[in-house]
Amino acid sequence: MKKILKIGAVLAVLGILAAIYVWFFVYNKPHRDYENATADYTLSAEAFYKHYANGSEESKKYLDKVIQVEGVPSSIETTDSTVIVAFAFGSGMFGDEGIRCTLLPNHHSQVKELDHSETISIKGHCTGYNGTDVIMEQCSLITK
Amino acid sequence: MKSIKLTFAIILFLSATTYGQRYITKTGHIWFHSEAPLETIEAHNNQVNAVLDIETGEMVFKVLMKSFIFEKALMQEHFNENYVESDKYPNATFQGKVTNLEAINFTTPGTYNAQVTGKLTIHNQTNNVGATGTFEVKKDVILGMTKFNILIADYNISIPGAVAGKIADEIDIHVDIVLKELKK
Repeated sequence: MKKILKIGAVLAVLGILAAIYVWFFVYNKPHRDYENATADYTLSAEAFYKHYANGSEESKKYLDKVIQVEGVPSSIETTDSTVIVAFAFGSGMFGDEGIRCTLLPNHHSQVKELDHSETISIKGHCTGYNGTDVIMEQCSLITK
Repeated sequence: MKSIKLTFAIILFLSATTYGQRYITKTGHIWFHSEAPLETIEAHNNQVNAVLDIETGEMVFKVLMKSFIFEKALMQEHFNENYVESDKYPNATFQGKVTNLEAINFTTPGTYNAQVTGKLTIHNQTNNVGATGTFEVKKDVILGMTKFNILIADYNISIPGAVAGKIADEIDIHVDIVLKELKK
């Protein structure tokens, strides 16, 4: 009888631990830390954009990867809640076309102070091409 | 040489006039909301392309699916991999028209009720949708806002039984855009 109770208690504890594990590490697992992730690919902003604009096979390997691009931004756009750094290399129905990077909130103030003519490096999560621009999310400004 | 220049000028002139005056944004905000008994899910996309031709009332939206950010990483993963299959179908699009153009004066500041109908494509499935919303015309910008519902089943997205209590059959979609004139 005692043995059954012991086994039962051990199983109950294991069950609770499994539930806690699932709750924290599966169900509530955190978003990838793009700020501290190492870049999978580092290249110039223009070359990166052209892979997409020309529809080259190479562009496929960038999807969902951490990309670090270097270039001179064309504009820094702010809305109520977001700050976007844009690089322009072409133009079309929606105006300038290039790369658009949404910055992580802790980089907002630093980005707003950028001098437009300087070359910068930005790292983030490449979410693809929408026909006009390559989009990067959760980006951070790399300071040298 | 002169004639080439002239032809070029004519083409430029024609291409400028065939399109009406366009207002655009690339920072449109679209978010959706699913309210099911066991879970409320919300995801935001702040990099939506939208264009409005104020003369013809034509509107086009382009939405990159992977740019929807969810509160929980797992939900974002399921959304992209299992439901909308964003590797295969990266963009959602809407192509439509403002149908009550006569009631809106895009050059006079004010708030106008708008009706928009068109074709919405998500997950490679296209359906006709209609929505009512508002345009708020300001000095330099036009603010557009709407909310409408879609049925997940209409877009060939199947939700497995195990998570059925967590995802609503009907999803609210909110659209919030600040359009600026596209200078030629």
